[in-house]
Amino acid sequence: MLDGLVSLGDAYLNLLMSPTSLAYGLAGALTGILVGCMPGLSATLCIALLTTLTVKLNAHDAILILVCSYVGTLYGGSRSAILLNIPGTAANAASCADGHALALRGEAGRAIGIATSGAFCGTLFGVICLAAFTPTLANVALSFGAHEFFWLALFGVTMSGTLVGDDPLKGWLMGALGLFVAQIGQEGIYAHDRFTFDIPALSGGIALIPALIGAFGFAEVLTRLADPVERKLLEMKDSIRPRFDEVARYWRTVLRSGAIGVLTGLMPGVGEDSGAWMSYAAAKATTKEPELFGKGSIDGLMAAETGDMSSIPGHMIPMLALGVPGSAPSAVLMAAIIIHGIQPGPMMMVEHPQFAYQMVAMTTLATVCILIFGLYLVRPLLYVLRIKHSVLMPIIFVMSVVGSYATAWRLFDVYSMLVIGIGAFFLRRKGYQMAPFVLGLVLGSLLDKSLRRGLVLSDGEIWPFFTRPISLAFAVVTIFTMLLYVPVFNRIVHAAFDAIVTPLKSLVARRG
Amino acid sequence: MQTSQEDSGPDASVHPGGPLVTPRSDFFASFAWIAVGIAIAVGSWQMDRLENQDVQPYAVPGLLPFFLGLAIVFFGGLMLVRAWTSGALAPHARRAAGMSPAERKQFLIVLGLCLAFGIGLVGHGLPFWLAAAVFVAITIFVLQYPQRRAADEIKRGLILAIVIGVCAGLGVTLVFQEFFLVRLP
Repeated sequence: MLDGLVSLGDAYLNLLMSPTSLAYGLAGALTGILVGCMPGLSATLCIALLTTLTVKLNAHDAILILVCSYVGTLYGGSRSAILLNIPGTAANAASCADGHALALRGEAGRAIGIATSGAFCGTLFGVICLAAFTPTLANVALSFGAHEFFWLALFGVTMSGTLVGDDPLKGWLMGALGLFVAQIGQEGIYAHDRFTFDIPALSGGIALIPALIGAFGFAEVLTRLADPVERKLLEMKDSIRPRFDEVARYWRTVLRSGAIGVLTGLMPGVGEDSGAWMSYAAAKATTKEPELFGKGSIDGLMAAETGDMSSIPGHMIPMLALGVPGSAPSAVLMAAIIIHGIQPGPMMMVEHPQFAYQMVAMTTLATVCILIFGLYLVRPLLYVLRIKHSVLMPIIFVMSVVGSYATAWRLFDVYSMLVIGIGAFFLRRKGYQMAPFVLGLVLGSLLDKSLRRGLVLSDGEIWPFFTRPISLAFAVVTIFTMLLYVPVFNRIVHAAFDAIVTPLKSLVARRG
Repeated sequence: MQTSQEDSGPDASVHPGGPLVTPRSDFFASFAWIAVGIAIAVGSWQMDRLENQDVQPYAVPGLLPFFLGLAIVFFGGLMLVRAWTSGALAPHARRAAGMSPAERKQFLIVLGLCLAFGIGLVGHGLPFWLAAAVFVAITIFVLQYPQRRAADEIKRGLILAIVIGVCAGLGVTLVFQEFFLVRLP
């Protein structure tokens, strides 16, 4: 405990005493906010492009830039949600309704102030959880073996497929496709080529960064330019100032949304927007003024922004402790961390015990940066919102090509980015989500190695996958989640739930 | 649960031309999934089992891909049944909305320009800044052409597109190659 606090203090001190690092952090946050402001440019794309840009920097500075840009992008997305009614990133979609309604009433400055204060408090809440839970979870995960990691990987892809989007079946299909794409190339145990069709470039596999740039960058370029929608930017008449008085007034909402954001962040591959939507729904269910939701509710806007931002550190917890990213942006962040020589997962606390605390310090710096830029850099951000898609998107595509090429200097990566981007464009139109695909791509290698190592360890027996306690828990949750989609099973579960809950409810009502 | 993912793209359920997803479109998509799953499973089954290296049958390289192939076939089959029972083959089953002619034209132009840059211009001897400048300038000019023509500003549009293209090409090259020492194609 004391060691942890000392390490945390060291991490903060080192960060604050280095002007270069502070400058990199500010630059990363500013870049993130600018990217987040522009509808269609996601945190995933921003981190992927910055990964290639910072590949030659030292690990600490490079990861600092990425963390600050991650936080900045999600915060910046609230600006276009409020002023344009288009969420800059999907995580800000929940902020659209109330934020834009406030802006329509001439209170855009107030809405931005509330979003900024909520984002600041939410991220800080998440940072505290990140510092508190990452080392503990990593210690628990040290007892994981191949069987547990097999189920963890499968659990991650299944949950992502189930919770993301409206159609779990399509989510699972995308998860399975991602897992398959991860199998292409030389496998990790015997170095045997799989599905390479004698193409030498395929032996290296489909690299994660080009695949993500294709799925989130090129597909977005095609989407935006094929159907350009230019919306009117609302004027901002009132002033922006921190709304900590509103935070104090809605402290219950802030705490509740912070906790919901962190908890949804812990779920693999679910994404930041789930934190925002769940917090929004919880705020609506508990407020005394539900009729104001969607019409400029302060409570709603505060809940959405707090839940959205607190899920960022939440996503970092399983990424650092288990090596399982919580969202697509954290998957890229994990890939970047690996590129810089640090392997997230249970062994990280043994091999790089300082790193988790450095991440806490970096995220704290990012939180302060968004507060500063969010409140004092308002007018320039409005200019960014006025850039037309027809100008912005071709430049984004040029950067996507550079980003795909720069990590491994292979033109093949550019081609795979193009192919995945075109595929993602059509799949997205048909209601298929990319998050389960990304998680499958990240976890495919872990799943494959864990399955085969587990079977070798148990001499071909599959029972240890179900009899070891942690494996059993993951197996039950994974299988139960999937079975819930079967109508007959769903009906039985609901009937059983009603049979238990209804008598309890009536008992409580009678006593009341 | 209501979600709106960052990767969701256009709202798949609402589109000016009608829904983009219908039971009928899912019905036909399920055949593609089943075909992909079968291909993966067959490819995995036929994969070298490394018996000459004394690899156990439960540790062969094709093990997980085989199960993934089966899983895709299974989920594809579920989608097929679901679409069928939802009336995919009913006489008046709705077709999914495709792109409008204008949308399709715009999409093909953008796709063509992007592929020409990504495959044709990059990595084949042309300096990157020049390739990027040419691509950005042409794309901006082509995309803005209808508005520029309507406003009788074609010359101005062309000059602006060239200026933005050159600035973008030089800017990206300078930032990536000179400041951050990243190798460009």
